[in-house]
This record gives sequence, C-alpha cells and structure tokens, in this order.
Amino acid sequence: MDPQLLISGIIFGLSIGSIYFLMAIGLSLCFGLMRIISLDQMLYYAIGAYLTYSVSLATGSVWLGALAGLVVAAIAAFAVERLLFRRIYERPLTFSMITSFGILIGGIGVIKFFWGVIPRPVPAPIGQQFAVLGTDVPVYRLVIVGIAVLVYVGIWLFLNRTITGKAIRAGIEDVEHVEGLGINVSRLFTITFIIAGSLSGLAGGLHAPLIMVEPSMGLEVLAFVFMVVIIGGLGSIKGTLISAFMIGQVVSIGSLIYAPLAQMAPFAIMLLVLLIKPTGLYGGAVARR
Amino acid sequence: MLKAFRWWGGLLLAFALLAASRMFLPLPFAIEVVLFSIYTIGCSFLVGRVGFISFGQPAYLALGAYATAFYLFYFGANPYIGIALGVAGGLLASLIVGPLFVRLRSDYFALVNLALAVIVYYLMQKVLAGVTHGDNGLWFLTNIASTPVLDLSRPASFFIFAYLVALAVWVLYKYLDDSVFGASCLATKVNEDKLEFLGYSNFRIRLLAFVIANTTTALAGAMYAVYLGFVSPEMSSPSRAADPVIVTILGGAGTLYGPIVGAFAYTAMKDVISKLVGNWEFFIGFLLVFIMMAGERGIWGTLQPRLERLVSRSKEPAEKER
Repeated sequence: MDPQLLISGIIFGLSIGSIYFLMAIGLSLCFGLMRIISLDQMLYYAIGAYLTYSVSLATGSVWLGALAGLVVAAIAAFAVERLLFRRIYERPLTFSMITSFGILIGGIGVIKFFWGVIPRPVPAPIGQQFAVLGTDVPVYRLVIVGIAVLVYVGIWLFLNRTITGKAIRAGIEDVEHVEGLGINVSRLFTITFIIAGSLSGLAGGLHAPLIMVEPSMGLEVLAFVFMVVIIGGLGSIKGTLISAFMIGQVVSIGSLIYAPLAQMAPFAIMLLVLLIKPTGLYGGAVARR
Repeated sequence: MLKAFRWWGGLLLAFALLAASRMFLPLPFAIEVVLFSIYTIGCSFLVGRVGFISFGQPAYLALGAYATAFYLFYFGANPYIGIALGVAGGLLASLIVGPLFVRLRSDYFALVNLALAVIVYYLMQKVLAGVTHGDNGLWFLTNIASTPVLDLSRPASFFIFAYLVALAVWVLYKYLDDSVFGASCLATKVNEDKLEFLGYSNFRIRLLAFVIANTTTALAGAMYAVYLGFVSPEMSSPSRAADPVIVTILGGAGTLYGPIVGAFAYTAMKDVISKLVGNWEFFIGFLLVFIMMAGERGIWGTLQPRLERLVSRSKEPAEKER
C-alpha cells in the first residue's frame, strides 16, 4: 500500500479513536461505579457538537464553542443525574438502559426543535498541515489525539492522586464498603456522572469540525462506542483506551482496504474477543448487585 | 374439561376482543396492531421471563424481512413460501449468534444486541447494497402472486391471516409460560445458581428462549415484508431500536397480553400525536422515562391484578388463576 496513504490513515484512526475514547470513558466509568448503562452520553455528545456549531457561528472561535459544549453538557448531565438517575440506581440494569434511551430519544427531539433537522457544517479551527515522515496531515487531528492523551493522564491522576478519585476507584470495587467508611457515595455518583457527561460533550465539540452536525449524530457513533466499551471491558479505563485506539485504527485502515470493512471489522473483532473472554479484554468479574 | 376451558378462555376472549375491534377500526390500524404485537411478544418474553433486555430486536426483524424479500424479489412469487423462508432465516441467524450471546452477562447482552442491530443496518444499507439496493430498498408488491383460500395480496384477507398467526403464536407462548420450560426461564432470571444446582443448564434454557423469541420476531419481519411489499434498511435503524422495548414496557413486560395492549396503545398514540405535532421523538422519549419512573408494570401489568380480583370476587371461592 502507498505509505503516504497509510500514514494519513493511521493519523485518521488515532483521531477517531480519541473521540471514541472520550465518549467510552464516560460509559465505562458510569457502569463501573453506578452499575448503569448510560446511553444518554450520546445526547451530551450531540449537545456538545451543536453548541460548538452555534458558538463558533456567533464568536468565530471553535475552541470557545467546544468549551461551551463541555460546560452545557456537564450542566445537562448534572440535571439528568439529579432528576432521573438518582431514582434508578437501586433498580436492575434494564431500568437505566431504557430510561437513558428515553432521555436520548427525547433529547434528539429537543435538538430538532431548536436547531432543525438540516445537517450543519463547522469550520476546522486549524487549517494548517503538518508533515509526518513526508506526508501532510491536518494539525487539527493531531491536536485531538493530544487532547485525548491529556484527558487520559488527567483522569489517571484524578483517580490515583486525589481522595475523591481514590474513593471512586474503591467504589468500583465495592460501593457498600465505601459507604460504610463514611464517604458520601451519592456525591461521588454525581461527580462521576458530570465527568462522563462533560467528556462526551467535549468529544462532540472536537468531532464537530470533522463531520456534519445533525440531530441523530449520537446514534451514528453509538455502535462504535459500544464496541469500544465491550472490547475494553466495562469499568476499565486502560482497556477502554487500548480498545478505542484499536477500533479507530481498524475503522480507518479497514476503510482504505475495502470500504465496507470499516463497519464490519470492529463487529467481527468484538465477537472474537467475546468468544475468548466474555467480559472484554480488561473487564474483571464484576460483583453482582 | 373445566381446566381446558379456563386455559383457552382468556386467550379466546382476548382474541375475540381483537376481532371485534376490527369492526370499528380502520384496516391498516388493525393490521399494524396485530403485526406489532407479534413483533413485541418475543421481546416481552426475553425481558419479562428470561431477564434479558434486548435492544437488538430490529436486527432479527430485518433479517426475517430481508429473507422474505430476497425470495419474493429474485426467485418466486408465493408469499407463504416467502414467510416460511423469513422464519427460517431468523431461526438460522439466532442459532448462529445465540450460543455466543447468551453466555454473556445481561449488561453485555444488551450492548451486543444493539450493536448487532446497527451492523445489520450497515450490512443492508452499504455492504450488500448490490443485492439490497441500499437505501432505496426492495419493492416487490407486484411480484406477490395471489394465492387460493387466503389471498395475501389483499389487505382484508391479510388481516385474517395475521390474526390466525397471532392466535397460534399466543397459544404457543401461553403453553410455554405454563410449561416447565417457562418456569425454568423465570428461574434463570431470578436465581441462576440455584437452577444450576437443580441440574438444569442455564445456557440451554437461555439459548432455547433466545431462539424462540427471535424467530418470532423474524416471523413478524417476514409478515411486514409481505404486507408492505417493500423492505428497506430503515427497519433496523438504531433510532427504532427502542420500539419493541417501549411497547413491552408500556404493555407490561412478561405478561401474556401486555404486547397486544401495548401495541394498541402505542400505535394509537403514534397516530394521534404525529398528526398533531411533527416532533415525535420528544414524546416517545419522555413517555419512556415517565413509564420507568411511574413504576415498571405497564398498562396490562397494572390492570391484570385488578381484573383478577374483580373476577374472583364475583365467583364464590376466591380462586387465583396462577
């Protein structure tokens, strides 16, 4: 294969993988700590993208837009957690899945109400190209990868160096024990959900210049984010990072070889991983609740 | 004799009501309700009886529909054979993915099934576009030959056919509910370790339940294909993935008549609301959240105990049906 094509393919895969990682980390954390499947992360992703569109249209700065997307997604996540999810933590997993799907579909309706159904373009904030081994690649894609790595480091530091983060990690192991130690678990849940929602919003804001912004964009990435989470193992940050970049590469390189491979190959990999290890690469045996 | 009467009584009453509703409802509405109930009962069985929540039902619906469509578009004209092939397609697909899926924990199961629905969507929309004509779909309404006795190309007789099929499906599910198999399904939902100790295989019970439920869904898909004379990838689009789950929850998960009640309510609401406002997703989403918050038993699940109490009060000795 043409090396130039390959290099741009790898960079493309890394940037796509970064977007998937930012979204999957929220799903994974929410499942690990609260035992909920939060499909509404796809809504915060769409919210992030739409705010990026509107704010960049008003102010001319995409970065400001992504920031606004992050903040509004965090506020939306906070409201949803306080009003709805609070009531279903004790219930079986089915509840969170159906409720969050309801929020997602309802939210798409709200987005259609405000912004209409027409796909909107967002300009790329950095137009320059950067030469990697003699191939020109857009700087913006490299920036996305950099942001994802920063987020990973930030999350790692947060989980390992702060007392709240340590409590979250302990909660993933055994939440009743943490509660017994006198830590306010309900506040921990809110913090985790806000982190998840804001990262999804950030993912939407960063992805917006690369694609068209449309109401059902969350549903388009849904399957890929799911596959990332399943392959990495629910509740594991490291597994999520590895599988996100893996799926990113498979999607990007696969589409260079044979276009339909981009959609089918991740699914085949997921089936293969599940065949060997039903809990995903890094997913441990999670205690039932 | 009395026992047999009681067994059939509720079933026949429900279907008599359904037949009576045909008199004062428009035909497309009645057909939609019947087909949607068949579509939903598999999901209802999986959610309520086996404890598997499946967001992937559209995948099996589309597979059944496409198996029928391929036959009617490319090879033959007999709609009955088409439907049989659709069911066979669904059976085959669930036999292939079943052993893999039912080993998973219920959280992974839900995710994998939804992923499957999206993959089937891409498969039909892009990968097999040469055969499926992509987003344009396959149109074969004129290919369907008229058949003796029940002419499926005419909506009025299609309704009778769909009605009979639904009756057969409900007899099957009522039989399953009462059988040892139904009881063991409920047991794998409640306590799988205990069931394992009793000498049953969780894997086999779940696999059988999975195959039965998804073959029923494929049957619904095949009948949709013959009724509409048209299939498109839109059938398994992720935005419609929640439809059977909504109807299941709306009617009451795991109850026998929940799917009919749910399908009736859902189709009626869809008709009314989409006539009034264009923004349909908003209402569906918030309806779903509202039902989950108000209590998960659904319409029929709330009504059933009350009806039973009413019936048992009118009889002398207080007898419970179950």
